[in-house]
Amino acid sequence: MTWTESAAAQSHPMLAAPNHDELVEQLFVRDLKLYVMQEVEPVQREIAQVLLADGKARASNNPAANLREQMAGLDSFRTWLSLKRESQRQLWSAVGDSVARQADELEALGRFDSPRGSVTVDPEFAVPDYVADADIHLMPGGNGFDDGSLLQGAVMDRGGAVYMLGRNGGMLNDLRGHTAMAHLLTIAPDIEPERILDMGCGIGASTVPAAATFPDAEVHGIDVGASILRYAHARAEHLGAAVHFRQGSAEHTPYPDGHFDVVYSCVLLHETSPEAMAAILAESKRLLKPGGIAIHLEVPLIHEFGDVWQELSSELEAQYNNEPNWRGALSADYASLMAAAGFGDVKVGYQSTATDAHKSPKVFKDQSDGVFRSWFVASGRA
Amino acid sequence: MTRVPLPRTPNRLDAIPGEGGRDEQLLGMIVALTSEVTILRARLDACERLLVASGALAAGAVDHFDPDAAAQAERERARQHTIAKVLRPLREQARAELAAVKDQTP
Repeated sequence: MTWTESAAAQSHPMLAAPNHDELVEQLFVRDLKLYVMQEVEPVQREIAQVLLADGKARASNNPAANLREQMAGLDSFRTWLSLKRESQRQLWSAVGDSVARQADELEALGRFDSPRGSVTVDPEFAVPDYVADADIHLMPGGNGFDDGSLLQGAVMDRGGAVYMLGRNGGMLNDLRGHTAMAHLLTIAPDIEPERILDMGCGIGASTVPAAATFPDAEVHGIDVGASILRYAHARAEHLGAAVHFRQGSAEHTPYPDGHFDVVYSCVLLHETSPEAMAAILAESKRLLKPGGIAIHLEVPLIHEFGDVWQELSSELEAQYNNEPNWRGALSADYASLMAAAGFGDVKVGYQSTATDAHKSPKVFKDQSDGVFRSWFVASGRA
Repeated sequence: MTRVPLPRTPNRLDAIPGEGGRDEQLLGMIVALTSEVTILRARLDACERLLVASGALAAGAVDHFDPDAAAQAERERARQHTIAKVLRPLREQARAELAAVKDQTP
């Protein structure tokens, strides 16, 4: 599950390969993040539990906000937040250096004489405010960055794999995509989709699994960033997947009505806004043929959280790691939202993480098995 | 063709209430230094193990090393890179304050 120094595991040629020093630097970031998570944060949790037991924080309409106010006066609380954010900044710094060193090689690897798929960028496209206003996950330049190269995608891919600490499918970072496809096969075991769309596809980590699961389908991905899409295309080509990537907003895509059999998104909604979320659900309905299936996969919702500290800790992560719609996406009533978007046969629950949509056990139930072990899913039929 | 470097400072870094800006700068520097020291130790460790394994390095050879001019120049560049990396927070703060001063000055 994790990556180590000995497992130089180059999952595909586009993944920026670190040299000795860069690998140690990335492992340092990984270890620093684990240290913050396992050694620093638990003490804050203990402090929170003492404060909560005292009853003052609980006796409020918003115990998480009350707890936050109490803890904000503690030096160790603020240092924990600072260190956590610094670890994220070190991640991008380390990965950025490594990508910059091999920029020319990566660009050369992204040129193809006869590609299976395609990438279409739109120089006139303006990224939505929720992307422009704050760089998601603190990735410098943000998801919409475009310098005409594919390098921001290379940063995002390698950085994402280090960030996930190997918990989402090692350096391929693709378990969410497999899990979305596993949900599809759970609710429609015999489906043979002709056309599939991944909304907010990023570098295509969750898009390639759709092509792997349905080799005869025409697979598309849409996202806001030209650089990350150029990289997504190159990455998919090297992984042998024919995917058609296009720059645009998932809120209003350029595809015609009823164009797809399956439309899905993986952890897109919590990076948008409450208004955009509703627009994206409606767009996924518009794009489906009658009877087509939409699947929107997210991290576990707030009501699954065990305690007030977990809620506060996640809220702080959202604020200081720039997750613009964390609360909106994690506290939404998806059954109502999907129904409002016009979907029937709406299903809301947790799909067990799959490594292969066809072969993995297909388990869909009401409760979360915990972060990374299962994913929240809302699905419906057009 | 010279490439324009990728950006290094993310847009939007919310203030942590009560945390002084300089505290965060110092923390950033210490973390960066710890990273550099970790890399350095790993590289030294790899080198010494490889050299000893191949029989190329005699015991104590590093302690008696005397760099020539080319080696000194490379070591110079490496030191400057380290300084720029470690002192990044100061430069950022200064740029932000410079921009503020420029805004306020007619």
